[in-house]
Amino acid sequence: MDKKGLTPKDFISIGIFTAIWFVVEFAFGILGYIHPYIVAAYVVMLPLAGAIPMMLFYTKVEKFGMLTIMSVLIAIIMFVTGMGYLGAPITIASGLIADLIAKSGNYKKFPKTVLSYGVFCLWICANYFPILVTADSYRQDLVDAGYSAEYCDNLFRAINPRTIAVLLIVCFICGCIGAFIGKAAVRKHFEKAGIA
Amino acid sequence: MSENFIKIQHVNFKYKGSDKGLLDDLSLTINKGETMLLTGASGSGKTTIIRLINGLIPHYYQGELEGSVDVAGYDIVKTELYELAGVVGTVFQNPRSQFFSVDTDGEIVFGPENIGMDAGEIRERKQDIVGEMHIEKLMGRSLFELSGGEKQSIACASVAALLPEVILLDEPSSNLDQGAIGNLREVIRRWKEQGKTIIISEHRLWYLKDLVDRVIYMEAGRICHEWSGAEFASMDRDKVRSLQMRPLAVSDMLSSDFAGEDSDIQTQEISDGITLKDFYFSYNKKPYLIRKKRFRENDEGLSLCIPRLTLPKNTVIGVIGHNGTGKSTFLKCVCGLEKDCNGIIEAAGKEYKGKDRLKICYMVMQDVNHQLFTDSVEAEVLLSMEEEDKKRCYQILEGLGILEFKGKHPMALSGGQKQRVAIASAIAADAKLMLFDEPTSGLDFCHMEKVGGLLKSLAAENNTVLVATHDPELIELCCDYVLCIENGRVKYLRQVNGAGEERA
Amino acid sequence: MSAKLDPRTKLYMILIVSAVVMMSATTPLLWVVRIAMTLIPLILLVAEKRYASALRFTILYAIALVLTFCFLSEESTGILQSLLIGYCGIAVQFLPALITAWYVVRTTKIDEFMSAMQRMHVPDGIAISLAVVMRFFPTIKEEYASITDAMRMRGISFGGGRPSKMVEYRMIPLLFSCVNIGDELSAAAITRGLGGKVKRTSVEELRLRVSDWILILGFTAAASVFVIFKYVL
Repeated sequence: MDKKGLTPKDFISIGIFTAIWFVVEFAFGILGYIHPYIVAAYVVMLPLAGAIPMMLFYTKVEKFGMLTIMSVLIAIIMFVTGMGYLGAPITIASGLIADLIAKSGNYKKFPKTVLSYGVFCLWICANYFPILVTADSYRQDLVDAGYSAEYCDNLFRAINPRTIAVLLIVCFICGCIGAFIGKAAVRKHFEKAGIA
Repeated sequence: MSENFIKIQHVNFKYKGSDKGLLDDLSLTINKGETMLLTGASGSGKTTIIRLINGLIPHYYQGELEGSVDVAGYDIVKTELYELAGVVGTVFQNPRSQFFSVDTDGEIVFGPENIGMDAGEIRERKQDIVGEMHIEKLMGRSLFELSGGEKQSIACASVAALLPEVILLDEPSSNLDQGAIGNLREVIRRWKEQGKTIIISEHRLWYLKDLVDRVIYMEAGRICHEWSGAEFASMDRDKVRSLQMRPLAVSDMLSSDFAGEDSDIQTQEISDGITLKDFYFSYNKKPYLIRKKRFRENDEGLSLCIPRLTLPKNTVIGVIGHNGTGKSTFLKCVCGLEKDCNGIIEAAGKEYKGKDRLKICYMVMQDVNHQLFTDSVEAEVLLSMEEEDKKRCYQILEGLGILEFKGKHPMALSGGQKQRVAIASAIAADAKLMLFDEPTSGLDFCHMEKVGGLLKSLAAENNTVLVATHDPELIELCCDYVLCIENGRVKYLRQVNGAGEERA
Repeated sequence: MSAKLDPRTKLYMILIVSAVVMMSATTPLLWVVRIAMTLIPLILLVAEKRYASALRFTILYAIALVLTFCFLSEESTGILQSLLIGYCGIAVQFLPALITAWYVVRTTKIDEFMSAMQRMHVPDGIAISLAVVMRFFPTIKEEYASITDAMRMRGISFGGGRPSKMVEYRMIPLLFSCVNIGDELSAAAITRGLGGKVKRTSVEELRLRVSDWILILGFTAAASVFVIFKYVL
């Protein structure tokens, strides 16, 4: 590519991979309805599951803006599908930082890609944002409304301002591990088949 | 201006990362208002010419380009693609992948919106195009629920909405049935009347015979033959055959089967064979509170209704019928992919129900990419075996002529080779009933002959082959029987005329 | 009153409803406001002739409400009850947002949405990507269905018991298909002028009609009442 900047083809690629990412996220997200603890486990499942398409995505566009736009799209979709907008700034910020990291490695250096993907995955924690922000009043409200203390405890034991730091770190690490797995899959299939 | 409207001069082209040149010092001029057909085997450079004229080469597909291309006064190399949008329009091969919107209306106005036309004008233009092409009944629908032919109509309308002077069609009939090809032909005829310059790259020739002004036959990146429309139309069968082109006329081959005439043909009784019993299926399920509903013979609105059918063993049976009459449904139900269809297969004295059907059946899908999972041809075949047996795997690959690719990634192979890999895994899985869904769509004559030969040899090795197809040529090449399906019911099953003697 | 709303009104509805679902209702008045806000998208769904989904959501919401108010207000313990509380709590809390989102997604054409984005000065690149996302969901569904069919035919639906293979066999063919379709889609879109320097136009007329203003005002009022009664008074 001798032209600078994103071409229509790149925008289409970004759209496609965002759609795939979202489908993967949704498939695993459904599991969260089973128990609140699984919601906390998103930080492990999503970075790992999404790694294969993302590593392919990194090889497809290789231009600044790819991750930023993707994060904006994710924020918009989260908003439109009624999942709140409080997490949007975090989502977009993690996308932008991830983009900058990847750019510093020219989208080619694998270690930078690993870091970048790890940071990108942090947006998953934005899902917990509504619970965090509203935690105090929310918990009180739940108890006032006569909820069992048990459920509240389950929900808030897993996700609260103290654990969020742990969740962020776990998320980042899983993202980095995922990057290695995803890269291996890309090598095994897409590079061997000649499209990557 | 009308002379040399499109001028390609001394063009050599090589895709990036490939060492094989696709065009070899090619020069070609096309006049305004001309309708030209490009034909020749796959890989002969037809698609490359189309891509040169619409500018996808060199702007989208990168590579080494020498020579000059000039279209309607634009130097393609120096012109941005979006500037060409109102000049050159292209209808692509795959109806599924060329639409951008989700709804039909949005798709037709997509082009004009992109070039920033005034909203009122776009609306008028859309009205005109819709009226002209008689697609009123397709408006306001989701593109995902349309058939391939209907999608292709929308694609044509969408291209026409930009009012280009040059219209390119890249194998537009590949995924269409007889009826839809008829519609496509009408569309091209109308464009011709409007004085558009039309260039069609195509393997199927019969529907274009009376439309084209000039025919170019390509081989290995060069123009090998050139005929006027009249010369082309009067070409005799032997010459067509010798150039490995598909036939110019379908009238002499089984056209009655495809036209749906001869309704008095009786289904032949077959004593020894594979019997299908109680195959009923419907897509229009009523939303019951508790699902799990079995379909019965007298249910209304069945998409498939076959109380009993005996298929002759170890033969190739062509499954024909118009699009949407249930051919694909039939295949999916037979091999047990539609869970709600509870038919029974009786073969060699055994009964196969439910999931067991998957064990003796294997379907090679129209889009074979969906059924290749591993990272090498060898692993792909081993995956299908109950117990891994490398020796047998190599034998199968050898038999299909793809042993040399055993370490390659299946996705790195050509379409025909991928098909063979899928067949290899079918053999490895010990399937006795092999089903093929449109195995020859978009193939040139040479490849079609190969597929035909392959199907015959499968039948000779004690497999029963069911092949759903729109290509009369394929039936003539390899089928012993023809099974005609209409509205989900068996219309008839009969021996192909002369098949018995030829093979005796 | 025509049922067709401006996409910007719909986005505003989501904005308000998503904000309100963050704040839980504690007094009867707040409950009334909340339920009223949920009823509006339900009525709109009926107006768009989407009876089945309207009915389904109404029943779901009603059941969740009834259970929460009548049976679970005691200090209930036990696994079943705690799970039930979990579900009902989530349903009552977040269903309004889900219903609104469903209504918006189901009744807005991509073209409309894109021109709304343009009006709100969202860059073209984002609008294009977003349109592709929307177009690709059904494509992924189609492709995935064929892939799972093929997997069942090969008997590898469970990847031979290895979860990593289960993911690999699904993901790899899907990605190959999507990349191919994407390439062809880009080529087709670019030859029809996508990505030009000129400003895109749209045949979808965006106009805030009376019905739009009524809804905007209604939702603003409801949200204000909610906030004032919950936090100020």
